[in-house]
Amino acid sequence: MNPMTIKNNKHNAIKLSRIIMYVVLILFAFYYLLPLYVMLVNSLKPLDEIRGGGMLYLPSLWTLEPWKSAWSTAQIGVDPSGLKPYFWNSISMVVPAVFLSTLLGSLNGYVLTKWQFRGHGIVFGLLLLSCFIPFQIVLIPMARVLGIFGLAGTTSGLVLVHLVYGLGFTTLFFRNYYAAFPTEIIKAAQIDGAGFFRIFWRVLLPSSGPIIVVTIIWQFTNIWNDFLFGASFADFDSIPMTVALNNLVNSSTGVKEYNVHFAGAILAALPTLVVYIVSGRYFVRGLMAGAVKG
Amino acid sequence: MASLTINDLHKSFGSVEVLKGINLHIEDGGFLVLVGPSGCGKSTLLNIIAGLEEITSGEIQIGDNSVAGLHPSKRNIAMVFQSYALYPNMTVSQNIGFGMEMKGVEKSVRATSINKVAETLQISELLDRKPGQLSGGQRQRVAMGRAIVREPEVFLFDEPLSNLDAKLRIDMRTEIKRLHQRLDSTIIYVTHDQVEAMTLATKIAVLKDGCIQQFDTPYEIYNNPNNMFVANFMGAPAMNLIEGKIVKSKNSFEFEMKDNKGNVVSLPTSGIKSLKNYVDKIVILGIRPESINDLDLGSKKDSVVRKVIIDVVEPAGSDTFAVVELGEKQIISRLNGNSRVSAGEEVDLTFDLSQAVFFDIQSEERIR
Amino acid sequence: MKNYLQLWVPKIVLAPSFALILVFVYGFIIYTGYLSLTDSRMLPTHEFMGWGNYSKLFGLRHWKIAVNNLAIFGILYIVICTAIGLLLAIFLDQKIRAEGLLRPIFLYPMALSFIVTGTAWKWFLDPGIGLESIMHEWGWESFEFDWIKNRSFAIYTVVMAAVWQSSGFVMAMFLAGLRGIDGEIMKAAQIDGASGFRIYKRIIIPMLRPAFLSAFVILAHLAIKAYDLVIALTNGGPGRSTELPATFMYSYTFERNQMGLGATSAIIMLIMIFSIIIPYLYSELRSENQS
Repeated sequence: MNPMTIKNNKHNAIKLSRIIMYVVLILFAFYYLLPLYVMLVNSLKPLDEIRGGGMLYLPSLWTLEPWKSAWSTAQIGVDPSGLKPYFWNSISMVVPAVFLSTLLGSLNGYVLTKWQFRGHGIVFGLLLLSCFIPFQIVLIPMARVLGIFGLAGTTSGLVLVHLVYGLGFTTLFFRNYYAAFPTEIIKAAQIDGAGFFRIFWRVLLPSSGPIIVVTIIWQFTNIWNDFLFGASFADFDSIPMTVALNNLVNSSTGVKEYNVHFAGAILAALPTLVVYIVSGRYFVRGLMAGAVKG
Repeated sequence: MASLTINDLHKSFGSVEVLKGINLHIEDGGFLVLVGPSGCGKSTLLNIIAGLEEITSGEIQIGDNSVAGLHPSKRNIAMVFQSYALYPNMTVSQNIGFGMEMKGVEKSVRATSINKVAETLQISELLDRKPGQLSGGQRQRVAMGRAIVREPEVFLFDEPLSNLDAKLRIDMRTEIKRLHQRLDSTIIYVTHDQVEAMTLATKIAVLKDGCIQQFDTPYEIYNNPNNMFVANFMGAPAMNLIEGKIVKSKNSFEFEMKDNKGNVVSLPTSGIKSLKNYVDKIVILGIRPESINDLDLGSKKDSVVRKVIIDVVEPAGSDTFAVVELGEKQIISRLNGNSRVSAGEEVDLTFDLSQAVFFDIQSEERIR
Repeated sequence: MKNYLQLWVPKIVLAPSFALILVFVYGFIIYTGYLSLTDSRMLPTHEFMGWGNYSKLFGLRHWKIAVNNLAIFGILYIVICTAIGLLLAIFLDQKIRAEGLLRPIFLYPMALSFIVTGTAWKWFLDPGIGLESIMHEWGWESFEFDWIKNRSFAIYTVVMAAVWQSSGFVMAMFLAGLRGIDGEIMKAAQIDGASGFRIYKRIIIPMLRPAFLSAFVILAHLAIKAYDLVIALTNGGPGRSTELPATFMYSYTFERNQMGLGATSAIIMLIMIFSIIIPYLYSELRSENQS
């Protein structure tokens, strides 16, 4: 075989493997997009069209009725109120919880890296471990405690729950970030006469942009998507979106309006999807920071 | 400006004692350099002077006041860090003025001081920039500006030149020396670079393992080292340390070394009294490379000529360093820059023993 | 005097979070553990019954099904996610032109709630209107895909949905790991004559050990906690065939008024997770301290 042929064969082999790679990647892309596509497409069809089959086909009759129904008139629980009130329940739960857990997490991370004391390792270890507990283990006592404090079934109760169980992660994120922040800058600020809070406010926090974004995205996604706590501790006034969606979809009475279900599912997914699309890089960074610890 | 006095200072971290009885005094306007290998405790000592670490026992006085227990911002000190430690989110102007802001000084007064300092350091055009937009040398000057504007009694420098490249380091070294002369300030300076120590200091404290090995002027430290560690640490290339025996000869003593053929090479000693206690014992001779050269000194007192074999030649421009074999030992000599020796040659070199020093082989202390 | 204040302020700032965690996490764990030793039904009682609940639990058919399902689900979930994640990461690392587009597509399912995922897949897997009916329409009449309604196969549908949700995330972890590998190692291997496949097998994949470990820990922990997905997808059914410890705990505690047993099952879940997490965290913190 002459060298040119060998070279050509190798060249072709490489080309072939690259083609296979692209094919595989595109197939997987379809695999990931398919359910979303199915939901989207079928949420825009009238019910008889869905029942007639053809799940993959574009609507022959485009309609926004399922969306309107999912938002404002679908039967969820007792009232035919649609998902709107539950959407706002979620918002009023998520916003304070994200804000408070991020704020506390940043202060904790600051203390644990720049003001270390004896036993700080244990404190951090316990906080870190709390990220991994199965939430089932706290359901019973939490239900009791919320009842005792009159917070059962309220949004404030849910905010407390999400605050507490988010502290581990937010502290972890800030702690790792601040560990990499040069301690000499803190020393310089001390010499300049700045105290604990002034150093935090004037020196550390202004440089914390990236990790604040990561933390907020992570917390927002996890809290918005939570189901277990919502299902266990919420009442009519505070049921979040995920629980409402499940009620909508799994209600066994009457006709199954698939198109409304799909519209509802997309509505429930929209906030976190939008956050993800807008800030994808930070989202990944958050996953990395939380997962590949340290 | 003020003096600094440290009395019997001890510092332990848990059960590990890092500073073991430090005694120092630097007068008002002096430039004290703390020098030593990593881990010797020099940075800890500086942090203690600054108030960033607590004392385990002992006293520190700045001027006439004892400062133990005082917060760093209340000690009238200023510090320049190895990494400059500039506030990343603030402009140069805000960085320099931050200390005044914390004290509550009015904005207009602050601005005047900042501008004055910026002019002195030639960074006036950088006032609105952030640290991330500056070069290493510029950041260094901003860090100095932040320190100067505090008008402290003592300046503390923690290895400020370590992060700079070689040429910039020499330029900045001169800046710091100029600063010292202009402001007549008391400076405490930490470095591991003994060249910096020699060129900048009025007094040097050589530290090892938490103890001061010698506290003296640069001249004394270089020419009159207390022990082998100081002798070896200061000076580049390092002092040659050679083992040999003291023998009696005529009116004085001679230092004998063996070579690998069994021949004896001897060098005269220059009237060191205590050597009489070491006759027929092994001691260490310390002789600096510049005392071994190819100059013709005629019959200068305490100089002898010996034959050596050249091993490696290192031309360095103004000088040529040659590693030579004398007896069994390889030592470094400093020859004229125009020297034309080559490896393997046997040449005559002059040994000037007027500056030679001797050390006890066990205690490593100087034999005087 | 100012110095003393600085000594206490940090601890005071940290204290609320620490107190909250102590009470609401560790305190609650102890309380649930205590409950698991009592004969609580609808409400907590204080009738101590020692390990009775535990022996009862292990004798229950429902529990055995749940644990069995967890094993099947967990192993398949971890293995398939890792395999897919690794494959996609390696491919994406080959300077693919559309990487910027593909990566977000692979990852977006992680942004969704498990409820949404369950909903989407539920209909896709439904024989009447999902994949099976599509295949029928396309002419493949004999195609059968009623796993979701099939007691023996329903658990595998949970696997499918879970893999869809998490494999992108595993891919991102491996991709980060691959990108952290010094390119010069590849060059050295090429000079040594190793082919592409060999380089991966002998050099790169072993270097990804930390990523494998992290992926395993995260996935195992998600598998043990898996609740939302099952509820949305199958609600534990048909019958109990997709019961998992998490759904068991919830139904026994809140629906069947067997609080003692529910608490016991939660403790078992905790032990399972901790036996993986604690060694992992310990070794991570140790190596961080050393470096």
